Amino acid sequence: MSRVVEASGARALAARVHRPFGLHRLRELVERESIYSWLMLTPPVLFLLAFLGYPFFYGVYLSFFRREVAGPATFVGLHNFVILANDPIFWQSVGNTVKFTAVATILKASGGLAMALVMNQNFKMKSITRALLLLPFIVPTVLSTVAWQWIYDPGLGLFNRLLVVSGLATTGVSWLGTPMMAMISVIIVNTWRGLPFFGISILAGLQTIPVELHESATIDGAGTWGRFRYVTLPALLPVLFIVTTFSIILTFFDFQLVYVLTGGGPANGTHLMATYAYSLSMGAGQMGLGSAVALSMVPVLGLLLVLLTVYVRKD
Amino acid sequence: MTRPAQPQASRRDFLKLAAGATGVVGAPWIARNVQAKPISITFARESSYVKNFDDHFLKVMAPAYEKEMGIKIEYQIQAAGGGAVPQLVSMVENRSGADVAWMQQEWLYRDALVDVSDIADYVGKTYGGWYDAIKLLSVDNGKWKTVPNSNIGQCMVYRKDWFDEAGIKKFPETWDEFMEAGIKLKAKGHPFGMSMGHGFADNYSWLYPLLWSYGATVMDKDGKKVALDASETARAVDYVRKLYKEACIEDCIGWLDPHNNKAFLTSQISCTNNAYSIMVSAKRDLPDMGKVIDHALNPKGPTGQRYHSLVPVTHGVFAYSKDVQAAKDFLKWTFEPKQFKPWIASGDMYFAPFLHGFDKAPEWDIEPRVKPFQKVLETGKLTSWPAPANKAHGAVINRWVVIDMFSKACTGAPTKNVIAEAVSQLKQIYGIA
Repeated sequence: MSRVVEASGARALAARVHRPFGLHRLRELVERESIYSWLMLTPPVLFLLAFLGYPFFYGVYLSFFRREVAGPATFVGLHNFVILANDPIFWQSVGNTVKFTAVATILKASGGLAMALVMNQNFKMKSITRALLLLPFIVPTVLSTVAWQWIYDPGLGLFNRLLVVSGLATTGVSWLGTPMMAMISVIIVNTWRGLPFFGISILAGLQTIPVELHESATIDGAGTWGRFRYVTLPALLPVLFIVTTFSIILTFFDFQLVYVLTGGGPANGTHLMATYAYSLSMGAGQMGLGSAVALSMVPVLGLLLVLLTVYVRKD
Repeated sequence: MTRPAQPQASRRDFLKLAAGATGVVGAPWIARNVQAKPISITFARESSYVKNFDDHFLKVMAPAYEKEMGIKIEYQIQAAGGGAVPQLVSMVENRSGADVAWMQQEWLYRDALVDVSDIADYVGKTYGGWYDAIKLLSVDNGKWKTVPNSNIGQCMVYRKDWFDEAGIKKFPETWDEFMEAGIKLKAKGHPFGMSMGHGFADNYSWLYPLLWSYGATVMDKDGKKVALDASETARAVDYVRKLYKEACIEDCIGWLDPHNNKAFLTSQISCTNNAYSIMVSAKRDLPDMGKVIDHALNPKGPTGQRYHSLVPVTHGVFAYSKDVQAAKDFLKWTFEPKQFKPWIASGDMYFAPFLHGFDKAPEWDIEPRVKPFQKVLETGKLTSWPAPANKAHGAVINRWVVIDMFSKACTGAPTKNVIAEAVSQLKQIYGIA
């Protein structure tokens, strides 16, 4: 055995004396990127599996069963979906969900864009105004929706008081009393709550546009509209796309707002797929049928996720 | 009851399947230790509108039980207004939570309840016998699955001062007179506010009695045939459409349970159907209004009959309770005269027992305006009536099939269509071809 080997063996021995072998090896292992990255990933993956994966796959499983609360499940294949295909309330809730999502998203996107353009200007108390505009997003939905119940109250509500006092109407509007007005009312609340998300995200996008682009466009003779059309809007498109997609997903699955404000009524006029799934599962105890309604929302979500992934990859 | 010979699987099977598929060894389930005596019993109950009722339990009964038996009672108060049902569904599905609970809509969780016939028999004998109507709910296949605690009486609540002003000295005896009164009062700016939205009590409490008093029912006696498709139903639907249009505030077709209370207490409506919680709130917060509120029984229909809808409070013991016998002992203890009579008295008869022994309880005389609620039990029926209250009936209630039949008619849909749609849903729910 050479001296060099002997010396290195002695050093290793000394190291072992000072550092226990197990701990040393463990540190070496942990420091390997392939292991370290998995170590970091495991907790969130486990979390997602437990709280998203399990309910999701259990929901998929349930949708093929006739299963009532505390009762055994009986396999029925696609029967739950056949029932839904012949259920006018299901189709009404699909129509309501599409209307609700489309109108609310358009209002939020256009309103959010306008809000961001205004917020991007310099004016007094800009910071406070920005903070205040975030309020609808910060207040818990259930709380703000209860406040909206008062705002929509037929006699004492803020809206009707304003209408009557200002002389615009002799009697107030029945905000939640007819299916159409109730739908308009829930869209208004959803828009109110979702505007800050659009506004702040678009504002962040606006601030990344280099001032030089605007300056050179101005030199080239572009007016306010021209600068918006050919500089601001193209630069904002990626942000707009991502924010709109997220918003569609969130709006499509909205539940709290409608549940608190109308419970899906009147005459199912505001029943969304989420509220209908809830009323079937947790109210009527028809777990299988309720899961089938919930699962029917997944293809839309899937399509949006594919679009989003393709778009992000392209970038 | 025999079950069809179909492949059956349960939530547990799903877990096994998932565990097998992912190669995961089953989670370390900790076996429940069978204890000699539980340290505590959890009792879940919906928050009462009558604060004294909850206070009495918390301050008098729970400490007394702990002193007597050495077992602590955890009183878990659930949100009122329909919120208790999803909470109970969640508890039953997860087999955890309360040991004893108020079984609002108990047909949903009967499979998770133990037989309490021994307690129900004892209570019935102690207090002069049960009202028959409640047996359709609490008795399943000859066994009591819950012990009825009480009924939350629902009848007409009205502003006597406004009725007097409109020249209506006596509350209408028939639905037709009710319509006439409503038209007069609406003309004076005091419309009726009859709930027809996706709530859980104030909509059923007048629409079902109205339907019955027109001679129609939802299902036949056995719950095997849909009975709703009848000319009597059509007449009831036409009546409600006219009542809504000519006598009611426009918003009421969208109202959830708290809305009519709010509208009444803010003087927007002159009449609604409710428990006497409106009067309790008015006497406490709006003394002037508290003096002019009165109650009346539901009007009679063309059949000459008068009906009321029961809103039962029944108590049951979950089979998954750590100590079923201890939970049953506690439940029986609550019905002992030493406990039960003062508890009911603390609620000022807001909760009226389904027991004939309370028909002439002195508490009925404390507030004369509560008297109509004493009569509600005599003509009270479950919403499933004449059929038994089972899971299918629960689905009818929670999907608002009958309520939406009326509310859709109010939005202008033809009578024939709304009945056909309701019948189609009933057939699907009851599995009738």
